[in-house]
Amino acid sequence: MATTSTTQTLSSPSTQEQPRTGTWDGGNEPFKASYGKLMMWFFLLSDAFTFAAFLTTYGLMRHRHLAYTGTNEAFEFSTAYWPIPDKVFNAFPGLHGIDLPLGFVALMTMILIFSSVTMVLAVEAGHRMDKKDVQKWLLWTILFGITFISCQAWEWSHFIAGTDEGTLMEDGTRFFGANLQRNQYGPVLFADLFFFITGFHGTHVFSGICLLIWSFIATTNGTFEKRGHYEMVEKIGLYWHFVDLVWVFVFTFFYLV
Amino acid sequence: MAQHSSNQPPQLGEIPKPNTGWIWKTFWVLVGITALEFVFVFLMDPGTLRNTIFIILTIFKAFFIVAEFMHLKHETKGLIWTILIPMGLLIWLLVALVSEGSYVGESIQNALN
Repeated sequence: MATTSTTQTLSSPSTQEQPRTGTWDGGNEPFKASYGKLMMWFFLLSDAFTFAAFLTTYGLMRHRHLAYTGTNEAFEFSTAYWPIPDKVFNAFPGLHGIDLPLGFVALMTMILIFSSVTMVLAVEAGHRMDKKDVQKWLLWTILFGITFISCQAWEWSHFIAGTDEGTLMEDGTRFFGANLQRNQYGPVLFADLFFFITGFHGTHVFSGICLLIWSFIATTNGTFEKRGHYEMVEKIGLYWHFVDLVWVFVFTFFYLV
Repeated sequence: MAQHSSNQPPQLGEIPKPNTGWIWKTFWVLVGITALEFVFVFLMDPGTLRNTIFIILTIFKAFFIVAEFMHLKHETKGLIWTILIPMGLLIWLLVALVSEGSYVGESIQNALN
């Protein structure tokens, strides 16, 4: 505790410089939010536009193609119509050949929601200036983030490798799995949109993990403690919740609907 | 919400007790809604009604993440509307382009037949 108080007294910026009070020199905080947090909100808004463009494209392309009209039991993969997601995403690691519709993606959703919870807990610990708790919850968040992205890696490799049976394509050959030009599940764009939407989301998770690791190191070094607040953890938290939020929408529009 | 207002750094050398009740409450709401979505996946036949239910439940989940976890509910009204109005316009874009997709699909089918 002795070290804490020394670092606190050494650096209180308000005593070293005149506080800014004028309207045009930073004295006013628009919306009563700090500059950094406000800019994070606007960045997330612009990022939401990109994801919305992806999901809107998915909606457009799905309605542009024919829908499958038969019963769920009689469903077969065909390039003629858009596949039912339950039939595409029904595999679980270690349980080969067992039909578990959306089982793995349910697990991934839970992991990401849980990582969001540990992130709020880290932000809450930051408000209390509790360095140990911030470290603990940041580590949990990093762990869940890495678990999520590993699950996605498995899902991608399974999607690319395909099912045992493959699908008889229009040109009479049997095709397994997916690439950007052909896929066994449905129209070409189905796999393309899968790669782009989940890939773009995964990239966001990856950069989130990098930011979290950096903030864990900074917390451990006492950077935020010296600064007197953990606002950086809060801003990274906003980004991390946004990634979770996007997954909620990807989950609905790609896997459920 | 009173529990959010503890933003002031506490007294030196003493760390207050964590106040995490609202976090876990939000967590269970999110888990509950996700579980409900899976109930609909398995117990209901696909269709417009089921999709509508999914979208409503998704908006509920999004509300809890943005309002509580991202703390937007406790920001000023100006910031809340700055975020929500552009997002509202995106719903318009989504509806417009999805119906456009149906139209393009129909046109292609008609041209082929």
